[in-house]
Amino acid sequence: MAGVLLLALPWAIEVFALRHTEARLRSELVKVRQRIERVGVNSFLAGQKNDQRLHYDLLEDEFIDLRRGQLLTAAQGDTIATLPRQQQGELVDFRVLRASFVHDGQPYTLEIGKSMESVEDVYGLLRGFAAYALVFAVLTTLLIELGVINYLLRPVDQIVMRLRAVQGPTPPPLPPLHTGTWDFQYLDNSIQQMLQKIRTVFEQEREFIANVSHELLTPISILQNRFENMLQAENLPEEAEMQLVTSQKTLQRLTATLRTLLLISRIENAQFARPDRVDIKELLAEIVEELDYRLQDQHIALQQQLTDDPVMAPANRTLLFTLFYNLLSNAIKYNLPEDGRIAITGAAQADGSYVLVVHNTGKPIPKEQLPYLFERFRRFDDGRVEGFGLGLSVVRSVAQFHFIRISAASDEQGTSFTLHLPRPR
Amino acid sequence: MNVLIIEDDKALARELGLYLHNERFHCDFARTGREASEKLFVNEYDFVLLDLGLPDQDGLQLLSEARKERNQQASIIILSARGTVDDRIKGLDLGADDYLAKPYSLLELVSRMQAIVRRKHGVTQDVLPFGPFVLNVSDRTLRHQDHEVPLTKKEFDLLHYLLLHRHKVLTRLQLSEHIWGSMISDSDDRDSNFIDVHVKNIRKKLATYDPSEWIETVRGVGYRMKTAQEA
Repeated sequence: MAGVLLLALPWAIEVFALRHTEARLRSELVKVRQRIERVGVNSFLAGQKNDQRLHYDLLEDEFIDLRRGQLLTAAQGDTIATLPRQQQGELVDFRVLRASFVHDGQPYTLEIGKSMESVEDVYGLLRGFAAYALVFAVLTTLLIELGVINYLLRPVDQIVMRLRAVQGPTPPPLPPLHTGTWDFQYLDNSIQQMLQKIRTVFEQEREFIANVSHELLTPISILQNRFENMLQAENLPEEAEMQLVTSQKTLQRLTATLRTLLLISRIENAQFARPDRVDIKELLAEIVEELDYRLQDQHIALQQQLTDDPVMAPANRTLLFTLFYNLLSNAIKYNLPEDGRIAITGAAQADGSYVLVVHNTGKPIPKEQLPYLFERFRRFDDGRVEGFGLGLSVVRSVAQFHFIRISAASDEQGTSFTLHLPRPR
Repeated sequence: MNVLIIEDDKALARELGLYLHNERFHCDFARTGREASEKLFVNEYDFVLLDLGLPDQDGLQLLSEARKERNQQASIIILSARGTVDDRIKGLDLGADDYLAKPYSLLELVSRMQAIVRRKHGVTQDVLPFGPFVLNVSDRTLRHQDHEVPLTKKEFDLLHYLLLHRHKVLTRLQLSEHIWGSMISDSDDRDSNFIDVHVKNIRKKLATYDPSEWIETVRGVGYRMKTAQEA
């Protein structure tokens, strides 16, 4: 639109400028005729030879030419044309209005001219003005459009913001959207329905896991107690004893897996409260003491450099203990077999949050496995130490429960887990 | 000692009864809340072992009921598959003496029952001597004559448990159940292999004071605390 306007503009201005000039010429003609009527033609022609009076204005871009006795154009009426004129030895283009009239029985021809140069001036002025006006118009339109569009699409922003706020599969119910636009209401309803479906499916899955784990704990109890009873028997052959102990161990693994699954489902079910204010340094000290025997056993050097005092609040101390315990336990388990290193570093951020990094030396985790690190039942089948693949899932669940962002990175130097602890409240 | 086992699963009740019988307890059984109420009304027990997930009644309700009638003196231990911290706190608030999450080790259950008995009768054995060593439970120290042998928390718990069950072979599972049982943390570290590291460390510490092997490794099964004569 603006483009068409821009292309058409020079032409339009040129036409407009010419029209404007012609209108002026005509009004001047009228004025000259009025003057002749009033003071008589002789005062115009007085002292001139050839019955002709030619008058240029000071800058010589306008002239009035009145002569007697030329009736050539009388029949043709007024004409306007662009004509060359001799002016101090040069030909200059003038826009000329030629009119014939009869005064006191004498025919006269009157020419009023305006130099094309001055027309061009007007033309240039108009062009400049038009360009400014155009730019102004385009900018104003854009601004208004942006404003109006923003205003009209405000519900979309609201919807997007609300969707961004959804952290897990069971967000709190969204408040109804305030909009009169039917389409947005429709969109909002669809999103609400979708979230509801996701929530239902997730809750069913969670309930299922909780029920299964729970139902399995009783038979496991029976088996474990039976093994224990059998081991009590006198004169038990050594071989049978060994087999019982092996079975007990297998059962213990099963129990551990189930307990962890139950724990995860309880965390996701928000069955824990966040009543505590936890000093992370203190918590880490407790865990390090707990794991010290394993650090010593593998000759792992532990460095800790936490500037400022990280605090988590509100928090669940038991769960946070589990989170850091699992992280450190992993850092030991996947460390070098001898003389490895673990570094716990951290610093407060400008916004009051805290970034804490747990780094351990050891074989790097392949890049393609990193994204799945926190998923349930992922384990690296490269013959590394036995695990249940649930430790990091628990870490993630506890982190989510506390709004901690957690990420992992790994290279030849080792593996590090970065935790963004939110600002304590 | 009379024990009422309130447990709806027959097989589980049987295993439990068998073990307690071997430990010289006299056992009575109830499979529903109603049955349990009746028995609590009629008989007197030293211990009530209560499963919270009964078919006809919430176990916690039964617990407060039991406290009102003639079994006010009974020690109640909750055995439950609902192992949440909340359940544990609620149970203890309602007057239970202890709480064990299923599955638990029978040895751990009996140890806790014995601890309750010692506490109730005021015969807490604060001092457990073995050879030249003395384990003091009240201030949690191990001494060799005048020297204190530095032990970590877990090492102390482990040695204490072994001493409480002298003569018995304790499996790694039973030991790990005892020292990590209450922890809701991840599985991996409850791995009974870590018991070996602890035992190795305890042995090293004991050996600096006394050359005798106090903790015997029973191949493939676990560990046993030797008596003074054997060592």
